[in-house]
Amino acid sequence: MAPRSLISVVDDDESVRRSLPNLLKEFGFAARSFSSAAEFLASDALAESSCLILDVRMPEMSGPDLQRELTRRRRALPIIFITASPDEGLRQPLLEHGAVECLFKPFTETVLCEALGAALQTTRHCSTDNDQ
Amino acid sequence: MISYPDATADVSLNGAIPVALASLESIVRTEELHTRPRRPVEYEKETAALAALVKALADSPRTILQTLADKILEVLQSDSAGLSLLTEDEKRFYWAAVAGVWKPHLGGGTPRDFGPCGDVLDHDAPMLFRHFELRYPYIWRAIPPAVECLLVPFYLNGKAVGTVWAIVHDDSHQFDGEDLRLLESLGRFASAAYQAVESIDDLRSEIAAREEAELGLRELTGNLEVQVRARTEQLRLSEAFLAEAQHLSRTGSFSWRVATNEFTWSKELYRIYELDPGVPVTLEFILSRTHPDDLSSFYDVIDRVTTGAHNYEYERRLKMPNGTIKYIHVVAHGTQDRDGRLEYIGAVQDVTERRLSELALDKARSELARMARVTSLGALTASIAHEVNQPLLGIVTNASTCLRMLAADPPNIEGAQETAQFLLSDGHRASDVIKRLRSLFSKSSPTMELLDLSAATQEVVRLSFNELQRNQVILGTAFDHELPPVHGDRVQLQQVILNLLMNASEAMRGVDDRPKQLLIRTYLDEDDNVRLTVQDAGVGLEQSDMESIFEPFYSTKSDGMGIGLSISRSILDKHRGRIWAAPNPDGTGATFSFAIPRAAKDAMTVPGPSVFKPRAAAHTGAFAGGTL
Repeated sequence: MAPRSLISVVDDDESVRRSLPNLLKEFGFAARSFSSAAEFLASDALAESSCLILDVRMPEMSGPDLQRELTRRRRALPIIFITASPDEGLRQPLLEHGAVECLFKPFTETVLCEALGAALQTTRHCSTDNDQ
Repeated sequence: MISYPDATADVSLNGAIPVALASLESIVRTEELHTRPRRPVEYEKETAALAALVKALADSPRTILQTLADKILEVLQSDSAGLSLLTEDEKRFYWAAVAGVWKPHLGGGTPRDFGPCGDVLDHDAPMLFRHFELRYPYIWRAIPPAVECLLVPFYLNGKAVGTVWAIVHDDSHQFDGEDLRLLESLGRFASAAYQAVESIDDLRSEIAAREEAELGLRELTGNLEVQVRARTEQLRLSEAFLAEAQHLSRTGSFSWRVATNEFTWSKELYRIYELDPGVPVTLEFILSRTHPDDLSSFYDVIDRVTTGAHNYEYERRLKMPNGTIKYIHVVAHGTQDRDGRLEYIGAVQDVTERRLSELALDKARSELARMARVTSLGALTASIAHEVNQPLLGIVTNASTCLRMLAADPPNIEGAQETAQFLLSDGHRASDVIKRLRSLFSKSSPTMELLDLSAATQEVVRLSFNELQRNQVILGTAFDHELPPVHGDRVQLQQVILNLLMNASEAMRGVDDRPKQLLIRTYLDEDDNVRLTVQDAGVGLEQSDMESIFEPFYSTKSDGMGIGLSISRSILDKHRGRIWAAPNPDGTGATFSFAIPRAAKDAMTVPGPSVFKPRAAAHTGAFAGGTL
């Protein structure tokens, strides 16, 4: 059995860090969470992640800041932005800068699944609820 | 009294009296009058003379004395005749009228104490002199010399004031008893006539004086009339001015005699009450025009002011027959006269327009306050959504996870339970956010309580954090956690703080040459007031704006409503505090501050924190970030 893809979650909100990885694990992914961009950049998850679920607005280094940092480091990593601010104007520039998707909190598991499918170019993990 | 000419024609002796003078006895022949043969009584002549005198008196009373002299000359068959009157100083006799040979000597005279006239007055009796120049040599100068001179006293009001006399200048004729009788008769008549003339003169002068007085009076009256007319006109004008002023200021005046309930109203007051001018005013009428809801308080006023002289001022509403409501402001001053009768003088101003616009303004103000709240709410929508969406994502995600765990084979019961616990926690968190938002935006009636301004400010900072961050504002806080409590309405003060934060953020929007630094401080100031300051690095304020920004509708923002700060000020007023703005010392940006008196020392302690838990020290430079 191939090792499960690692999905990293970077969000300063504790409840997101507490809930989202559990769901991702239910989807069949490996999941890790980080409370800040700096924490993520300093970890081995930077190299091992298949996809990054990234909060837009965070103190100090924001989501887009991390995106630019990864581009600078030439670390091509599919990014799914998530944000609690329902600002459509925010979404388009992020997509133009290479993000796979930008999801507005709260989002359903279906929407998340589709975004992950697009990020990993597969629907394997999300198509069935009872993969495992 | 006739006037006496100057004594230049005086025939009196100038110089020393000669040594050897004839004695008085040697020249007086009075006794001979009775012994000389007496010519027949000539009544006709006498009557004619008296008639002439009467006529003269009637025709030309001024010349009565001269007529007398002429008639004596005629009746007595003398050569000269005349009348001598004592001067006012009684030192000389003055020849007031002369007829005959001596006529040229009219105006001459003799000394009182050394002459025939003086002798006559001394004896108070008629006297006949023969050659009196022997004793009184100065009479020589009167030519031709007198041989005989008959004199009788001339009386005025019973007092001898002169003489009437007749002279013969040769011996061809001698005076006799008949001459004496005639002279006395004519003399008496002359006295009476002269007295009459004098009376007439007096009368005349009295009449003249009266005429003059009357003339003066007429002039005075005329002047007075002019003055009265002018004053009346002035009065009319000032009355007109007063009426005009009363009309313009919608102020009527009144007097009220309390005991008799007599009212005197100005025209304007009739207009205000919509009563025809002149109609007698009664208390019943005033009551009938008073708004039913204000009647009882009006009765209270009447009860109070009728007990003694007071000054009173109150406002009440009138209700007109057509249903119109008027607001009147009454000011009155009470006085009591000596008999203790009470009277009020007062003014009544129709303040309807003012009251109505105030009511409209109040309504507009509360509407604007609501709008301002809504505007703040709008500005915070992103923040609010953010605060709500975070726990909602937790709820949705945990629910999905939970369902998946339960649907697994075998079901992951333990995991589901743990996840459900997370779900519950996120649900509570969402509920807290909603509660807090409701308390901040829906509560309208002020509730005064003891509160910790630092804690209240922190709550606002947390709420607005995301909004500030969206505007790239670098927020610094310095809260004094030992602040004494203030007595205030938490929500209203938080609205003020929120307003200041939003304004500061707005002021720094266009700033790109320096950090958008925002510093919020709370501390106890030198006046023992609890103070909050919000210092921004924005575009700053003109000196002239420092005060006017707190006026309603004043805004330095192109899209601002100009409401927030004026409402903030009214809120601070209610807290007995003040709010002000000042430019920053470094020349960039402004600092807005407010200060509220600390609560009394014996006041109760601050109640427990609201739904927010005060954070641990967030001191200078610390960024108030994180989640709610």
